Amino acid sequence: MKPFLILAATLPLFAQQPAPAPAAAPATAPAAPAAAAPTDDWLTGSIDLGYRWQTGVGGSLDTYRSIVNLGSGVKLVGADFTIADPKHRLFDQIDVRAYSWGDEPYESLHIDVKKKKLYDFNADYRDMAYFNFLPSYADPLLATNGAILNEQSFDTHRRMGSFSLDVLPGNWLIPYVAYDRDSGSGTGETVFVNDANEFPVPNTMTDRTNLFRGGVRIELKRFHVTLEEGGTTFSSGQDIYQPSGPTNLGNNMNPFFGQTIDLTGLAASYGISGSSTYTKGLFTANATPWLDLYGQFLYSKPSTNVNYTQFDTGNLVLESQLLFYTSQQFLLSAAAESPHTAGSFGGEIRPFKRIRIVESWLTDRMHENGSANSNQTLASASASSQMAALLTSSLVTNYNQEEVDGFYDASAKLVLHGGYRYVWGNANDATLPVAGLASSDRGSLSRNVGIAGVTYRPSQKLLVSGNVEAAASGGAYFRTSLYNYQKWRAQARYQATAALSFAADFSLLNNQNPLPGVKYDYLASQESLSFLWAPKSGKNWNFQGSYTRSSMYSDIGYLEPEYLTPDVSLYRDNAHTASALFTANVGHYDGLTPTISAGGSLFISSGSRPTNYYQPFVKVVLPVRKNLSWFSEWSYYGYGEAFYLYEGFRTHLVMTGLRFSR
Amino acid sequence: MRGIEVLFLAAVGAMAQPALPPGYVGSEACQACHQDIYDAFQKSPHNAPAADKKYGFTGAACESCHGPAQKHTDSPSAETISNPGKLPAAAADKVCLTCHLNQHTQVGRLESSHMKDQVSCTSCHKVHANGGHDLVLRKASAINNQCASCHLNVWAQFQRPNHHKLPEGAMSCVDCHNPHGTIRPAMTQSFAASEPGCFNCHGDKRGPFTFEHAAVKFEGCGACHEPHGSANPRMLTRQEVRLVCLECHANLPNPVSTNSALGVVPPSFHDLRSPRFQNCTVCHQKIHGSYVDRNLLR
Repeated sequence: MKPFLILAATLPLFAQQPAPAPAAAPATAPAAPAAAAPTDDWLTGSIDLGYRWQTGVGGSLDTYRSIVNLGSGVKLVGADFTIADPKHRLFDQIDVRAYSWGDEPYESLHIDVKKKKLYDFNADYRDMAYFNFLPSYADPLLATNGAILNEQSFDTHRRMGSFSLDVLPGNWLIPYVAYDRDSGSGTGETVFVNDANEFPVPNTMTDRTNLFRGGVRIELKRFHVTLEEGGTTFSSGQDIYQPSGPTNLGNNMNPFFGQTIDLTGLAASYGISGSSTYTKGLFTANATPWLDLYGQFLYSKPSTNVNYTQFDTGNLVLESQLLFYTSQQFLLSAAAESPHTAGSFGGEIRPFKRIRIVESWLTDRMHENGSANSNQTLASASASSQMAALLTSSLVTNYNQEEVDGFYDASAKLVLHGGYRYVWGNANDATLPVAGLASSDRGSLSRNVGIAGVTYRPSQKLLVSGNVEAAASGGAYFRTSLYNYQKWRAQARYQATAALSFAADFSLLNNQNPLPGVKYDYLASQESLSFLWAPKSGKNWNFQGSYTRSSMYSDIGYLEPEYLTPDVSLYRDNAHTASALFTANVGHYDGLTPTISAGGSLFISSGSRPTNYYQPFVKVVLPVRKNLSWFSEWSYYGYGEAFYLYEGFRTHLVMTGLRFSR
Repeated sequence: MRGIEVLFLAAVGAMAQPALPPGYVGSEACQACHQDIYDAFQKSPHNAPAADKKYGFTGAACESCHGPAQKHTDSPSAETISNPGKLPAAAADKVCLTCHLNQHTQVGRLESSHMKDQVSCTSCHKVHANGGHDLVLRKASAINNQCASCHLNVWAQFQRPNHHKLPEGAMSCVDCHNPHGTIRPAMTQSFAASEPGCFNCHGDKRGPFTFEHAAVKFEGCGACHEPHGSANPRMLTRQEVRLVCLECHANLPNPVSTNSALGVVPPSFHDLRSPRFQNCTVCHQKIHGSYVDRNLLR
């Protein structure tokens, strides 16, 4: 990290683009600022270096770290530059983008190197801190019961690297290779579950996935084919242990048949390895001037092998046999594989000038099976018993979809769209021998969907579009699945004047399953409005903002497990979200223009989890000389929940730094 | 004066270039009035037809999209030249697809809601952009702003406290969605050919597990999580974990006429009044699937 910071800091870079959007960037920000006019400079771009002060967190530090997690220190806010070789020797240009380095929660680096018609190389690296410890998730009754915080919590990092090389880009034959890597590691708090009690314990975890792939693209005038072969390797480990020290009494303090269930020692370890190969084939073709065809075939076959070991001591119990024991050894080996095939085929037919018909078919089929062989030894002061088990599992899903869409260009301003989709499939889920929670289940899927849409553009200034889907089902896999539903969507964009434009968006989903025993009722809608006001093309100032109102209603019944009394899961969410950004150029001196930006976002909701979240900010950029600017930014994060007051937090962040540009 | 200049340049261009189809004048004629665009275009990948014979527009890159410009040079006005940026979506796309139809990016085109909703290529791609940098946006925050300009209410979901890190610029919409279309619902990306794109980052949830949670495989992460953002912890669809679970594991009899209730029921010792049972994942911690335990306990 440090060498990278030093390297970046020493590069004499100069800016033509503004700093990356702040965290609270408004929804309606226009497209990215136009790139600078091409020049013959071998180096163009900018680098922003700064220092951030965090004033301290008022309220829950755990919640702050789970949601925001920005800290104090020296930061490479952003670097975005291009190196061009005017003589086009080894490369034409190298593009480098790096953001948020310096112990930041989201660090990224992207490098593109290309030489026209010879190669195109892309590298992308991200390091994301994944801290999650929300007290209300750990125990929603914390405020009233004060129970132990034992829900899963993490303090981990995920690192993702992606590298690809295209050879002979722009040619008719393009070979390519790529490598992707995703890994995670860290520590956390988890639970060791035993009959009659569960014990919060620390754990460490790692996982690593490598994806290797290579293929060739053949792009000709009449058709294109892509063939790709790839493979993955996967490994994962988790170690769970009971630290030495006091006995772990777990969550259940109540004696079980007169005895306290406790844990004095634990060492459990997962050793997981996996691999997969896959094949991918894609094609497109325009067989005739009135017919386009396309299709794809995708196949993968991931498999895993597991060796699990567990040794624990304490005063523990096997409830089903009312067997108390003081030590347990549990060994398991397991394997699973999941062949997965997907494919699609379709085409666009244009029988008349104004009519297009699109027909598509797809299938997605996964047939998974697994087996686990375990040996368990339970020992007490007086006896020991051994148990062995062999379990097999299978999970099958076959999904199919057929759709036909017709488009009619009624005029140059009006396009009408109608369609029909049929979805069908079947699934089953079984673990043998049947025992415990797992069982054997079957399901089927059958759905008819009607589709209609319209796009109307009466002038270049106004565009209105809308579509609706209405479905009736004869089967669905889950009680909350889409069943009899209607989806509405409408959008409008209006350029009122050269300086002022508006956009509006509306969507609604109404899903109901009226079957006896289900009676599911779900309704969600969102309405949004945004504007951009930029007189004189934003030369002196511009103002943009957006507002969204959303609501969700869900109602479904269940039986409370202990006494089988009817209860209802009722979910309500009514939210207001707004964002705004005002940017102004303040005066001029020596050809330099200071800018000030102010804005942010707010989210306020009521209903089942009333929450408010505010993120205002102000930023000032003051040019010192042609290639050097000073910037300073204040931001505030304020978060609160009506039902979980202890989760609220608020903090101020101040950042200041220099932008070097060229 | 300007008209004479244009006519002269068109004539010179016509002599210098290999034979162009009737009505075509060559890009140098366009340069006379559109110098800034012409200059910028020289470094654009879209200038390829000017030099590459396979496109059939040698020396006439401008006209490869705008069509023959003879009338326009004779009588310069917006009415005498085709402007794909102002055409209906299908007509504009037809221009782009003349060259781009048979490329791997277009395999999912006909399955995309962008195509069905008449969103043209030029809605996202800047054809005249400089140096090839901005033909398509590369910077995560710029991509997000562009998508948000239409998908206003989706972007509003990212302003909720628990969200994927798009407003922070750490991710972009195209990390999860392919705007050209895919065979997966909501144009989501796939991982290793046929698996949900979520596993590109969440590899530890991929499996295959010895004991799967059927909802994850059949309906994906969206069965329990709001992928864009939520006020609920872990981006869950409900305010408490137990309610997410109980809506499927409801203890109610399955409808006879259909199979619309996959899922087992919790046994009676689950006393929901106790904090121990408020969050199902306290014990069923391997909720995405377990390598070891059929009840997803370890």
